[in-house]
Amino acid sequence: MSEENTQEPPIDLDAKLDEMLLELRLPDVADLSGELERVANSAELAEFERRHLGPDSAIAGEKRRLGQMANEHRREAGRRINEVSRELQGRISVRRAEIETQEQAGRIAAEGIDVTLDHQRFPVGGLHLIQQVIDEVSDIFIGLGYKVADGPEAELAWYNFDALNTPTDHPGRLESDTMYLDYGRPEDEMLLRAHTSPVQARYMEQHDPPVYIVVPGKCYRNDTVDASHLPVFYQIEGLAVDSNIQFSDLKGTLAEFARQFFGPRTRVRLRPHYFPFTEPSAEMDASCPSCDGKDSTCRLCGGTGWLEMLGCGMVDPNVFAAVGYDPARVTGFAFGAGVERLAMVRYGIDSMRHFIDNDFRFLEQFPG
Amino acid sequence: MRVSLQWLNEYIDLPTRDPIELRRAFDMLGHAVESIEVLDVDWTSVLIGKVLTVEAHPDADKVRVTTVDVGTDEPYQIICGAWNFDAGAVVPVALPGAVLPGGFEIGSRKIRGVESSGMICSEHELGLGEDAAGILVLDDGAPVGKPFESILELPDVVFELEITNNRPDVMSMVGVARELAAWFDVDFREPDFSLETVPGKPELTVSISAPDGCNRFTAREVRGITLGKSPLWVRERLRKAGVRAISNAVDVTNYVMMELGHPLHAFDLDTIAGGTLDVRWASAGESLETLDGSVRHLTAEDLVIVDTDGPTSMAAIMGGARSEVNDATVNVLMEAAHWNPPTVMYSSRRHDLQSEASKRFERGVDPNLSPRANDRACRLLAEIGGGEIVETQIDIVANAFSPVSVNLAESDVQRLLGDRFDAAMSAALLRRVHLGVTAAGGSLDVTVPTYRPDITRPADLIEEIARLADFDTFGETLPTGPAGGLSSAQGRTRTFLATLRGLGLHQAVNLPFVSAAELAAFSDVVTQVVTVRNPLRDDQSKLRQSLLPGLLRNIRENRNRGAGAVGLFETGRVFYARPWQDDERVPDQPERLAVAVAGPFGVAELGSPARDADGVTALALLTAVARQMGLNLVRNAAQPPGYHPTRTASLELEGAPIGFAGELHPDTAAGFEIDVRVAIAEIELAPIVATRPPIEMVPISTYPHVDFDLSFEIPRSLAGSDLVEATSKASRLLEKVEVFDDFVHPESGERSIAISYRLRASDRTLSRDEIEAERTGFVNAAASLGARLRGES
Repeated sequence: MSEENTQEPPIDLDAKLDEMLLELRLPDVADLSGELERVANSAELAEFERRHLGPDSAIAGEKRRLGQMANEHRREAGRRINEVSRELQGRISVRRAEIETQEQAGRIAAEGIDVTLDHQRFPVGGLHLIQQVIDEVSDIFIGLGYKVADGPEAELAWYNFDALNTPTDHPGRLESDTMYLDYGRPEDEMLLRAHTSPVQARYMEQHDPPVYIVVPGKCYRNDTVDASHLPVFYQIEGLAVDSNIQFSDLKGTLAEFARQFFGPRTRVRLRPHYFPFTEPSAEMDASCPSCDGKDSTCRLCGGTGWLEMLGCGMVDPNVFAAVGYDPARVTGFAFGAGVERLAMVRYGIDSMRHFIDNDFRFLEQFPG
Repeated sequence: MRVSLQWLNEYIDLPTRDPIELRRAFDMLGHAVESIEVLDVDWTSVLIGKVLTVEAHPDADKVRVTTVDVGTDEPYQIICGAWNFDAGAVVPVALPGAVLPGGFEIGSRKIRGVESSGMICSEHELGLGEDAAGILVLDDGAPVGKPFESILELPDVVFELEITNNRPDVMSMVGVARELAAWFDVDFREPDFSLETVPGKPELTVSISAPDGCNRFTAREVRGITLGKSPLWVRERLRKAGVRAISNAVDVTNYVMMELGHPLHAFDLDTIAGGTLDVRWASAGESLETLDGSVRHLTAEDLVIVDTDGPTSMAAIMGGARSEVNDATVNVLMEAAHWNPPTVMYSSRRHDLQSEASKRFERGVDPNLSPRANDRACRLLAEIGGGEIVETQIDIVANAFSPVSVNLAESDVQRLLGDRFDAAMSAALLRRVHLGVTAAGGSLDVTVPTYRPDITRPADLIEEIARLADFDTFGETLPTGPAGGLSSAQGRTRTFLATLRGLGLHQAVNLPFVSAAELAAFSDVVTQVVTVRNPLRDDQSKLRQSLLPGLLRNIRENRNRGAGAVGLFETGRVFYARPWQDDERVPDQPERLAVAVAGPFGVAELGSPARDADGVTALALLTAVARQMGLNLVRNAAQPPGYHPTRTASLELEGAPIGFAGELHPDTAAGFEIDVRVAIAEIELAPIVATRPPIEMVPISTYPHVDFDLSFEIPRSLAGSDLVEATSKASRLLEKVEVFDDFVHPESGERSIAISYRLRASDRTLSRDEIEAERTGFVNAAASLGARLRGES
């Protein structure tokens, strides 16, 4: 601060002292701006801030001197110091924001990852395809008003055959077809159930009509493993028993199932067949999902346009009688589908072996 | 059943020959078409010719020069190397320019100076059979000048049908024709059963000593036949039906079986000892050489036909070598008997001798067809083999069968099939299959011929009506059932499976058959075993009591195939025999869950693979599953068989043991040929899914929490969970507790556990004093278990 007064006043010692004090050694903020611009990063900025605002800075030194000043000068000196200090702080803040923006941009640029690679991997599991099909088919029938039932796999021959109107001399009872157990009392012939149908009989014994159930589960036949046979396979069985069920209900139900499972354009047809426990009995064919009957050389359907999907029919009155239902009061239908067959048709699986090999190369193809 | 359309023409005039329309007819009749074979003519320009002259070749010994009339102005001169014919023989002649099977072209050429135009053909050259020894001599009556294929019924189409077990009547050309006649509503012609006989009585006497095995025995003698090859048309029809031609007497039995569905047997009459035949049960120890040359050891369940020298034929299964027709046979006994179906079924399975005949008998041949089948066979044998048919037929009836009558109520048909099925419609449909129908009020009296064993009840008639109405004519409706849905346990099972999937495990499905060694792998004492009586493999005859052997096999195989991490789970039943006094008659077969994991499993990063699975993995997986299911599993150190004794926990739910989780014992791993650690666990499924634990919301506090960590030195024997539990119980303000370190000093062996506690009150900010009091409580509780705070003495 220069002196403009050229008069020679009398020397006042106190005034002289104040004058000295007023010659504040404060930095010129405008001068510092150039230096501030050259500060390149937060470390340099911190150094700059320490140098000009830190305890060893000129401003801090001047602040310390305020205490020695006369009261009437101290306020003015304080005001001026703060003014300079705030001005400098403001400029530092602006510069800091600039530097942080630059530095953030630099960091972001530097920390990029190759998003096309898996730098971290979580394990992904899966339900077996058989389970997926069982759940899906069950859900379709739950939507149609069915419950899900199950029953024992080691089963009495009575439920597997007799209750289901199977003649005593039916070839299916032979050891070449059915697996028997060395078990229990001699009069209780015991086997591994050859189909899920014994659950029909057990369920009807324990529940009054109406009955609407599906029964998924393991079945056993005395077949060695090859591309089209497994000794253990899965069926999903359906049973509807009510006071007024007709043949057309069977057809409509299976058509609805086929549309939901194979696609909305699927058609079905029933073809007469023979099962001891239903009459009339039928096999259900679904229109070929691959060619829809339009390709006489289709490999999936053999050019016939139809794929054999499941067995079905109206419940035989003898079955009702065996479980204590009055055949004059109820009618019903039943069907049984091979779960593996449904999966094979839908996914083009070429061999039944895949379903029990548990080969990861197979399992991982069906992440459901 | 193979069905030739040309053969069918004998019994029915089909309104269409379009294979697609016929396929639909067969399919919708319930006789599914398995394949359609089109039989084309494999040659061109082969005519039927008559040999006019046969002369020696002037310059060659091995061939002869013939002239053959093929209906043209000039006969053809053909040189022929075969010697099995003379002038007058009718033969197939390939004219110059003809192409035979295999692309073999026929021309004109000179053989040692003599012109030869065309070729007289053998069976082999025409692709009709293996006989290449001589040329094919045709019946004298074959039409000279006509294409050769005209007498072969070519071209033809053969449908292979799947005949269901309940329809033995359709295992015949006549049966198939009857079905098509009903479908297309056209007439059906019976074959000719008429006979020319010579007066006489049979020399043989027949008896049935086993009326429980044989219902009827019909036989007739045909005397003075010439045993030989059957004419071409018989052999051709048999060929199309898939039956090998043997000799005229045998071919006739097969032909009639294919035509009518009734098997027959031809005996050489002169080899029957003592002039008697009896049908009886075999005695154990008896044996018989059958005509395939093998010696059959018989049991008391085998039915045999015996003469005075003992068994001469296995009833319905196979004839005996001793009485078989042979080159010297002159007099034939043509037998058509009716056997009890189960007898045939068990016997044919026992001797592993299933044939076209046994297949028909076990399904049920018409018991009243025997005399007519016998007539038809005798007629054909006389026609193609010569000989005289003895007038009197032997016909012993042990059990008579009459047509069944069934009363069918119109309302029962309508109840199942719909209102359009009134009595008149049903009657019309049933009459198409030759059932006798009389209307009686609101019902029909229906008489069922004995060739339809499938119809004995009203339900059987309803099925027949629906079938003949064409299933395609039925509409599609939906019943209006009650509400459906999963039970609580089924819903929780879905959650359970989804949780295991979400943890990165794949579900496996294994066969439940195990060896005795596998059964012992996870049991100290193997008891309550359920055994398969007729296993696929003798070393896999036990039903599993653990799911782990199957999963361990999967782990071994997948790792051998190069898979690194293998994380599997399986749910399925295990099987235990129950004590006999139990009311429940079937074996105990609870559902289990098992987990097996090997190799690096879990979260992996580049350069830092996932942790190799071990006992820790199994414990963590089961804890995660339990938490997802809202359950608290209590773990205690355990040493179950097959598991690693210091890395395994027993698992308890609500105080009840439900299984184990830990690591596979290294010895067990070696037994399964696995060379890495395997995390294993197996638990009962029912308790996990049975209860849905009640959840009540705990209010969320708005006051701040206080966290602090305590590190305890603890005795090696102390279970970490006991320390956590004891200290937790000492507090009423504890919100959360977590062990964050468990360290055993490698030299001193001293163990320390570090626990993080979070305190919070629902209604206030905790004071310094309260926090200090809590901390003291934790330390004191730990001290009571012998644990002391680290850094304090």
